[in-house]
Amino acid sequence: MAKRNGVVVLSSDDEDVKSSSRSRSGPRPKLKSVPTRSDPRGAKKKPRLAGPRSRSCKQSGTVDEFEFFGEDFKQVFTGVKVSAGFGKDASKELWVDRYKPCTFEDLAVHKKKVEEVKSWFEGRLQAPKDNYGSNVLLITGQAGAGKSATVRVIASHVRAMLFEWNTPTPTIWQEHIYGSNTGAQYISKLDEFEHFIETIRKFRTLSGRPSSPVVVLIDDLPLTFGRSAYKRLQNCLHLLVQTACTPTVILISDTGQSDSADDPARSLDELQSFLEKAGAYKISFNPITNKSIKRSLSRICREERCDVNEKQLDLIATASGGDIRQAITSLQFLCLDEDIRPASLISDSALKNGQNLPGDKLFVQFGRDETLSLFHALGKFLHNKRECESTSSLDEGKLPIRDKYLRLPLKMDSPEKVLGQAHGQARPIAEFLHENALDFLDEDAIDDAWTMLSYLGDADVLLDTLRRNFAKNSDIEGILQSCAASVAVRGVLFGNDHPLPPRWHSIRKPKLWQVQKLALNNKDELLRQRDEYHGSSDLSVIATEYTPVHRWIQHKQPDVHQGSVLDCGTGDGDEDTTMEDQEADPSDGDDEIEDW
Amino acid sequence: MLWVDKYRPKTLDKMIVHEDVAQNLKKLVSEQDCPHLLFYGPSGSGKKTLIMALLRQMFGSSAEKVKVENKTWKIDAGSRTIDIELTTLSSTNHVEMNPSDAGFQDRYIVQEIIKEMAKNRPIDTKGKKGFKVLVLNEVDKLSREAQHSLRRTMEKYSASCRLILCCNSSSRVTEAIRSRCLNVRVNAPTEDEIMKALEFIGKKEGLQLPSGFAARIAEKSNRNLRRAILSFETCRVQQYPFTTNQAIPPMDWEEYVSEIVSDIMKEQSPKRLFQVRGKIYELLTNCIPPEIILKRLLYELLRKLDAELKHEVCHWAAYYEHRMRLGQKAIFHLEAFIAKFMSIYKSFLIATFG
Repeated sequence: MAKRNGVVVLSSDDEDVKSSSRSRSGPRPKLKSVPTRSDPRGAKKKPRLAGPRSRSCKQSGTVDEFEFFGEDFKQVFTGVKVSAGFGKDASKELWVDRYKPCTFEDLAVHKKKVEEVKSWFEGRLQAPKDNYGSNVLLITGQAGAGKSATVRVIASHVRAMLFEWNTPTPTIWQEHIYGSNTGAQYISKLDEFEHFIETIRKFRTLSGRPSSPVVVLIDDLPLTFGRSAYKRLQNCLHLLVQTACTPTVILISDTGQSDSADDPARSLDELQSFLEKAGAYKISFNPITNKSIKRSLSRICREERCDVNEKQLDLIATASGGDIRQAITSLQFLCLDEDIRPASLISDSALKNGQNLPGDKLFVQFGRDETLSLFHALGKFLHNKRECESTSSLDEGKLPIRDKYLRLPLKMDSPEKVLGQAHGQARPIAEFLHENALDFLDEDAIDDAWTMLSYLGDADVLLDTLRRNFAKNSDIEGILQSCAASVAVRGVLFGNDHPLPPRWHSIRKPKLWQVQKLALNNKDELLRQRDEYHGSSDLSVIATEYTPVHRWIQHKQPDVHQGSVLDCGTGDGDEDTTMEDQEADPSDGDDEIEDW
Repeated sequence: MLWVDKYRPKTLDKMIVHEDVAQNLKKLVSEQDCPHLLFYGPSGSGKKTLIMALLRQMFGSSAEKVKVENKTWKIDAGSRTIDIELTTLSSTNHVEMNPSDAGFQDRYIVQEIIKEMAKNRPIDTKGKKGFKVLVLNEVDKLSREAQHSLRRTMEKYSASCRLILCCNSSSRVTEAIRSRCLNVRVNAPTEDEIMKALEFIGKKEGLQLPSGFAARIAEKSNRNLRRAILSFETCRVQQYPFTTNQAIPPMDWEEYVSEIVSDIMKEQSPKRLFQVRGKIYELLTNCIPPEIILKRLLYELLRKLDAELKHEVCHWAAYYEHRMRLGQKAIFHLEAFIAKFMSIYKSFLIATFG
């Protein structure tokens, strides 16, 4: 560390930063916190920011860390300066906090799930603790599905004390360098977590009042980076599951819907299954239904005396995608907007047209963007689920369509919307569909195969029009991309008139990519050959005429030397193998494709 | 060295096929004034041979001393610079290249590189400014834009530079270029001419040709001289002395295509289509151009097909060949054609045999 310091001191710039940070943060220099830039609040806020750092484990009954966080958020949110001292002003509180559920009725989570968790709690707390194995409960579900809320409500219901692990405030590297002067040690989050686990594993009660039962809640697993850190976390959790003697609840937010290409998300998914295997009891929460979100929202509206109509609530609920926290925040934002804007500013015409208009438009922007993974979307297209009977036949005013072209309505959103959610690009989508579509066809449905491939070909032509004609115009490019994707997807949906009954299919990555790559390699090889001995003749001529002859002659030559020229009959059969050998040859490039 | 290259006539006088064209060309260049030339004709008819011989006629044996150069060109295209790699064959007096190798960047090749080359004029022994010859292969594969800029280049630098263009089909070369060139059509040699060439090679190699053997090779070659000589050589490697009814080995990819065709005729289902896809991928991996695959497929299919289906199948083949040129992923269109054929053939089978 001393070395580090030396470096820092030498650099004059850093010196400046350090001295300024010192002057700003006054007596406790190592806590340089970002939100305190605007000075007057800085000093006041220090103490409470210091709090959670020193206590990584605390009782939820005392100071609530979440509220502090909420305040920070609110300061940014409303731009009103609220200092720690009088932060409890009820009117300025975030609704998410104010309307935290306290009773079972308030919970928007499905009754059965709540019941399940509750029975687990009761079972753990009352039964003799002889079976250690299932002392850990794992609750999963997407963010805002009410996991923590449920646990809290139940804990207060069974009068258990909740001990929480919340990740301590992170130390920024500069802070650490600065702090090392004063002798403070850097402790990795993982170390702290391990220590915490060790403690709760060994010591039955952490509270001073052994009379009330204790439940440990781990809301936030430390992020791990790299394989070895992940292993450590895994070991430590394994130990916990095996030997915990206090009931422990672990909450993990699902990331299932997004493309979990990023490492932390994937490792969380892995951890889930790992914990389950280790013996933890798993309950997974579904996203909250629109109905219960709406119920909660209207309850809040009643209490806040906001005038939000049914339609708007409906919009919020749908847009939130089952995330109640999101829904409540959106609602608050909506109401905020109408509060802030004095009635005089709204023009009369707007009032006449119905006041909800601006609101409607406004918070379509606020929902969670729902995403689908590419494979999920492909699955939807390929499986081609449709309603069992036509509802459109009853509709008047529809164009009459011949039976041949008539298809049952789709059991999904419009394909374009699904595409948008999957962030699919036209070219790869078309390639994936091409690779996989044939698997989903009926044995005899060769006509369907033709229709499908024909549409995919159309998409290809559309995409290429782009390259040839409008290379510079990005607007047209976008339109063509969307058109091509739409043609490809709808073509596949339309073409698959006799789908197989649903069964499990794996979706392959297009072999076309590999083929293209190999072809490119071989082309380079041919070009080199051309430069060597064929002068500059046509590449296709070399591929179709020279190369086969070369191959043939090289294949045959040894025979000529040995004088056995009689096995010309076998020559035909061998040709195919040489062709395949060639293929296997330059396969070193495969890995890159696999990595896609 | 393959016989095709070994027995390629070096001078216009030695040409075995297209003697008349050769003589006319000789007269043309001896009269100093040489226009731009456009050689066109089917593959394997001797365009390249004629061009090489013509260059020799113009510049003497120095035209044969060529060096292969693989050069990266930096082209300033407005906001950015583009690197294009292109192989050229050059002697002191001529440069030969395939601008279509640059793919969709062929435009830049034509605009910039040719311009640059055309600017440097060689000085001949008498101190007179001579001209440089640019040989461009596969002009028909150039994009439309490239062909337009080629036209400009031709006009602008015609004093210092002659272009010799070479292509299979003049229909894909724009009018503007065609009208600025002397068009030389190089016909596919007749079977007799091919036989003559084969016998000439046979004599040189000291081989005994049984009667009718050369005729069979010539017939199989589809009037493609290069093809004929190549199969002649494979036959030699396969078996010598020749016998009259010796099998002439087909190209391996052609055999592969006929295998595909028999697959298609045997069963018409999505599953079979998927298997066929794998085989087509193999052909594509070996750089067989998709157009040629489609053509060969059609050829093999037509041989086995009932007359009443031929028309429809041809129609769809033409349709998908066109789509293929418009698009980029040839496999989509190849497969669509096969699927269409399967569908036609299947309904035909059902109608005929119930």
